[in-house]
Amino acid sequence: MKLGVLSPDRPFIWMLPLIAILIAFTIIPLFYNIWLSFHEYAPFKRALEPVGLKNWSLLLSDERMWEALGTTILYFVVVLTAEVVLGMGIALLLDTEEFGFGFLRTVLTLTLVVPPAIVGMMYLLIEDPEFGVLTYVLDAAGLLDKATPILSTASTALWGVMLADIWQWTPFMVLIFLAGLRSLPPEPYEAAMLDGASAVMTFRRITLPLLNKVIAVAILIRGIDVFRMFDYVFVMTSGGPGTSTYTLSLYAWQQTFSFIKWGYGATLSLFTLAIILIVANLFIYIAKVRW
Amino acid sequence: MMVRSKSSRMVRTIVGWAVVALFAFPLYYWMTVAFKEGNEIFNWPPKVWSFTPTIKNFEEVFGISFGFGFGEQREVLPGGGNFRMGPRLWDSIVIAILSTALAITIATLASYALSRMNFRGRHHFVSWVLSTRMMPPVAVAIPIFFIYKDIGLLDTYTGVILIHALMNLPLAVLLMKSFFDDIPGEIDESALVDGASRWLIFRRIVLPMVKGGIAATAVLCFIFSWTEFLFVLTLTQTGLKTVPVVSSTFVTSTGTAWGSMAALGAAAMIPAFIFILLVQKHLVRGLTLGSVKQ
Repeated sequence: MKLGVLSPDRPFIWMLPLIAILIAFTIIPLFYNIWLSFHEYAPFKRALEPVGLKNWSLLLSDERMWEALGTTILYFVVVLTAEVVLGMGIALLLDTEEFGFGFLRTVLTLTLVVPPAIVGMMYLLIEDPEFGVLTYVLDAAGLLDKATPILSTASTALWGVMLADIWQWTPFMVLIFLAGLRSLPPEPYEAAMLDGASAVMTFRRITLPLLNKVIAVAILIRGIDVFRMFDYVFVMTSGGPGTSTYTLSLYAWQQTFSFIKWGYGATLSLFTLAIILIVANLFIYIAKVRW
Repeated sequence: MMVRSKSSRMVRTIVGWAVVALFAFPLYYWMTVAFKEGNEIFNWPPKVWSFTPTIKNFEEVFGISFGFGFGEQREVLPGGGNFRMGPRLWDSIVIAILSTALAITIATLASYALSRMNFRGRHHFVSWVLSTRMMPPVAVAIPIFFIYKDIGLLDTYTGVILIHALMNLPLAVLLMKSFFDDIPGEIDESALVDGASRWLIFRRIVLPMVKGGIAATAVLCFIFSWTEFLFVLTLTQTGLKTVPVVSSTFVTSTGTAWGSMAALGAAAMIPAFIFILLVQKHLVRGLTLGSVKQ
């Protein structure tokens, strides 16, 4: 029997379901989204009408979009840096077979499986101005007055949201870096010890270069998620107070579903998609990440 | 690694426990709220250690004596809504299990071919799968909302299951491929020489060898569906809702039902905690889409 390209000896038939679902759920929606970005909902006609490039020129002149982009970039830089640095520190701390450390590593994995929306609520509670634990601690330590509610003050709200993200995802970095640390060959360390190198020197000259690949993968995967972050801001601040915590994802979602700007929302979401695709692929190319 | 003095080991133990305690604290505190009465939740200073535990919140959320929605509602909570969550938990379970099954089936077939067969453009295909992982959910949710509206999939199990399966496919494909890559290709080749068909080799020889990998992949898919927020928020209205989305509705203009929310959140975390402990061995490989092995 000749099946040609559909034969089980050829890859096509095996990948057919995957190709079908990827086309149906990424390629078609992508083109639909592009089509949508050249249209806008007209409330009086109750229908979409073509508007040409209006949404795209609006995107470039929209101050709120630039503010949201700035917020997203600030959030991205602070959160990712904090997670990588803290993650590395804690991974080095926990990288030992001494009694109890296996338990500690297990406890850290728990933050990863809490739904981010619920983490948002958790920090809403902890940072509550009336009865939040963090408010109490900061107030008692004299760092931040109880009269300054963390999440409803423009200068602190974004930091309050970042804290939830850093809490939930630093353990992600810890686990990945720990796996990397454990796969390191012992020889360079023996040599370094014979040469009398300091711990800092050993870390900078041996550990970091050897962990290059692992760190790059962790930054790539986490970076994608951080840039498109939605859950925490949606739950904790809804972009407020004012417009101080809008990320691009939240702004796009709200334009579409709260303000019925279907075309402009689509344009914003495409803009977010383009940034991620370009930056992530550039990073993959430069850092030589391979799958 | 290096020989260290006793005092530096002491310091390491103390700092290690302190750091992990700091990370565990929000979870602990959330659990205490689930077991607190209203007035104890709103105490200033916040009650961290001493409070009178009660299961009232769980009764309110799940119906009296955990009857999954059949009990009497005892009182109207802030916002006046119906906070009985048995059916919502059911929605979460159905969606997570079926979307996981779908993603695993599709991914296992495709990743077997990606691991075993050489063809032109294989590298580009893997890159395409990876790049779908980069799409921001909002850029998928907006067009899918309108497409679903037209074809009647809005607010249905099928609609959410399909989109959750899609969301998990890049992870499932790349992770399963890494598990297939672990098994030497000579096994397939010698069976092929003996006259076995590809399909038979896949089902009888290779598939049983990656059982552990399938289980680990399935657990991660389940967890990501269980915790997903944006798609369910966007693509459902009144017919169904998963736990993360429905808990966000506990925040209302007349106040937040913290006790009920914490009880629901705590109940939602427990299955995920158990699952994650089961796949510890493959967790890092899973989180890095198969590229870092433990």
